[in-house]
Parts: sequence; structure tokens; C-alpha cells
Amino acid sequence: MIAIEDQIAELRTWRDRVSLRVQTLGNFQLWRDDEAIGSKEWGRDVSQQLFQFLVTNRHRHALHKEQIIDRIWVDGKTGQQNFKVAHHGVTKVLEPDRKSRTESQYIIRQGATYQLRFENIWIDVEALDQFVALGNQALLDDPGLAQQAYREAINLYQGVYLPNRLYEDWSSEERERIQLIALGAIISLSELLVKDNPMESIRLTQQALQIDSTWEDAYRIQMEAYFAKGNRPMAIKTYQQCQKVLDQEFGIEPLPETQQMYRKIRGV
Amino acid sequence: MSVRKDETASFMLRFTQKIFNNESGEPQVQWRGNIRHVQGGEEQRFSKFDDVVAFIQSKLADLTIQAMEDKPIEEQKGILSKSFDMWKKMAVEGPKMVMETIKDPKKGMAQIQDQIQDLSHQVKDEISQKLEIDTWKTASKSDFKEIMQKLTDISAEVSALNAKVDQLTQNQQ
Repeated sequence: MIAIEDQIAELRTWRDRVSLRVQTLGNFQLWRDDEAIGSKEWGRDVSQQLFQFLVTNRHRHALHKEQIIDRIWVDGKTGQQNFKVAHHGVTKVLEPDRKSRTESQYIIRQGATYQLRFENIWIDVEALDQFVALGNQALLDDPGLAQQAYREAINLYQGVYLPNRLYEDWSSEERERIQLIALGAIISLSELLVKDNPMESIRLTQQALQIDSTWEDAYRIQMEAYFAKGNRPMAIKTYQQCQKVLDQEFGIEPLPETQQMYRKIRGV
Repeated sequence: MSVRKDETASFMLRFTQKIFNNESGEPQVQWRGNIRHVQGGEEQRFSKFDDVVAFIQSKLADLTIQAMEDKPIEEQKGILSKSFDMWKKMAVEGPKMVMETIKDPKKGMAQIQDQIQDLSHQVKDEISQKLEIDTWKTASKSDFKEIMQKLTDISAEVSALNAKVDQLTQNQQ
């Protein structure tokens, strides 16, 4: 079995070992041999849609053409035409020099089914997922290693998944899944750093609260970090902010655990 | 057949479970979350399931209204009232079932099993009715014996079916 440390090192170099790189978080961008592909090269938006759909469904087994059309496009009739244009567009963007009738390096086509060969493409969301999984594996036995893995994952989270497809049904599940994974990594790292590096822990909790302003664990860790730094007024202010947000958004009080932390800070 | 976008409303629901002990040391569970209407992008947070129902209802009503814009007022009223009736039924039963299944998945399965049992009783009653036992009052003792035997056989078959359902439930758990 490969050691977690080696797996992290390998994951770090994955990006440099392949010629296609995809950013989906905070912005959508594809690089082919270090060259950023502009919207002009993508041609019609349907090509980008199809590629993004395949990236989103990279772990699912081969998807039938009809399934793809049904999920992405409104109309079945224009869907067929869209698919044809989109498939041609994607092929041209990914492998402009590929000779006809030769197998694609990136898209597995079997009959009418399509699947992305994503191990040949570096995708930020996939790397993030794997870094977090490695961090979680290392957490109990080697917190230092877990910190490294979480740090890598958090750096990759540049914003929501495929922001230009925010209102598309097919992208919602992945957006939600990856946001929760990123939040989990931020919270775990801020918790690991609360005593040794409270300032960094505060910065991380602020990042978590930017993603979700009601994430109570982030407020609690931030209070603890301010307290560890000896900044009691800011710790109290953080609690008051938490109380205000939870009341406004849910009409509830902070959890007993958070209230207990507040009492500890106030020295009650 | 493909689904038309203007006929579809998708919702993304996030639940966060908080388990804690109250002041008396008793364990408590709290659910909080948010719901997002995918096509419109609007989002709402909730700690009570009623708020989720109200949010979905308002978005579905908007969808129905949009779909009927070119229809006469009377027809619009009729469709809206039918849509609300359907929603009322769903709003009462749907969340209850979801929440109960989240709280206690085994109970959820037991409910489904109860429904199957109720159905099997109904089938039994229907069979009895179809046999029109009253008209057999003048029948001989052996005829009655035969009927009783048939009913016993059917009951045994229903029980065997129930046992199979039990077995399947256990396997699933």
C-alpha cells in the first residue's frame, strides 16, 4: 500500500504530468498544454455544456447519448442537433490534431455511450476530493500530514462549482457535494491550528463563514482562537455575531457547546 | 421524451443535524438547513419543515401561473385550485413521511410493511365479498367446509407473502 505522504506528493504533481487541466471552482477554464482555451475556440456554448456535463458525471459509468440530451437540453429535437454540434466542438477543443477514426485520449465512446477518461485530465474538483480524503485518513495518526492535505484542498476551492451553470439542474448535486467537502476541510484545519496558530485558524473560519454565514462550528472555533490569542473582546463579538445570524436565519439560539465556550471566555 | 425546463422545478435541500444535551442533560436533536430553488436561485434557511413546504409551494405556484399565462381566467382558476388540492395532500403526508424516515428508518420500513398488510387484508375482504357467502347459506355442510378450506388456503398464502416481505425487509436492514 502506498503511504499517505507519497499519495499526497503524487497528487501534487498530477497537474504537471498531464496536458489537459480543468478549473471548475470559482470559474471555468480549460488549459491545453499550458494554453488557456478561450470562448472563441469553444465555439457554441453547447460544446462547453457537454464537456462540463461529462466532468460533472466523471464517476458515473458510460452515459447514453439520450440521457445526456435529456439532462442538458430542453428540447429533444434541438437536443439531437445540439449534441452533434457539441460533440464535434469538444473533440476539436480537446484534441485538435487527432486524426479521424483514431481513438480519443479523453473521451471513451462505446456505441451511443460517452464517458470522460478523467485520469488523463487534471480536474481541480477531483484533486480537491482526493486531498480531503487523504487528509481524513491521516487525521488521527499524523495530524501534520492531514494539515498538508487539507491545505492543498482548501487552496483549490476558489469558489462555487461551475458558477456559469448555477441555474442548471445537472450541476447542483456536485456543487452542493463539493461545497460541503470544502467546508469540512476548512473546519478540520482551523480546528487543528487553533492552539498553535490561532491567527490562521481565525482566517480559515472567516473563509468558512464566507461560504456559509450560519456555520456554527466556524464561529465556535473562531471564538476559541481569539481567546487563545488573548483577544477576549473579539471572541465575545464573534459569539454575538453568531447569536444574531442564527436568530435571523433560523430563529434559534446557539448550541449549548457554543454558549459554554462563551461563558468560559467571559469567565463566568 | 425530454423534460421541458419550464415544467420543472428542482430543489436542493441541505440538512444539518446537531445533537446536544440540554440543561437537564437529556440528549436533544436539532435540524437546520437551507433549501434552494435551482432554476431561480432563491434560497431560504429553515429550522422547521413547515417553512420548506411553504417555500416549495410558492415556487410551484409560480410555475403553474407561468404555464397558464395564455389561458382564460376561469381555466386558470380551475387549474390552480386543482394544483393546490394536490399540494395540500402532499404537504400533509410528504414531510411527515420524510421526517419520520430520517428519524427512524426502521419505522419507515415498518410503515410500508403495514401498508402492504392493510392491502392484503383488503384483498382478503374483497375475495370474501366476491364469493357472496350469504347466497351459500342453504349450502350443505361439505360446501361450507370447502369454502372454509379455500379461505384458510388464501389466508395461508397471504401469511406466506407477509413472511417473504418480512424476510426482504430484514435483508435490506
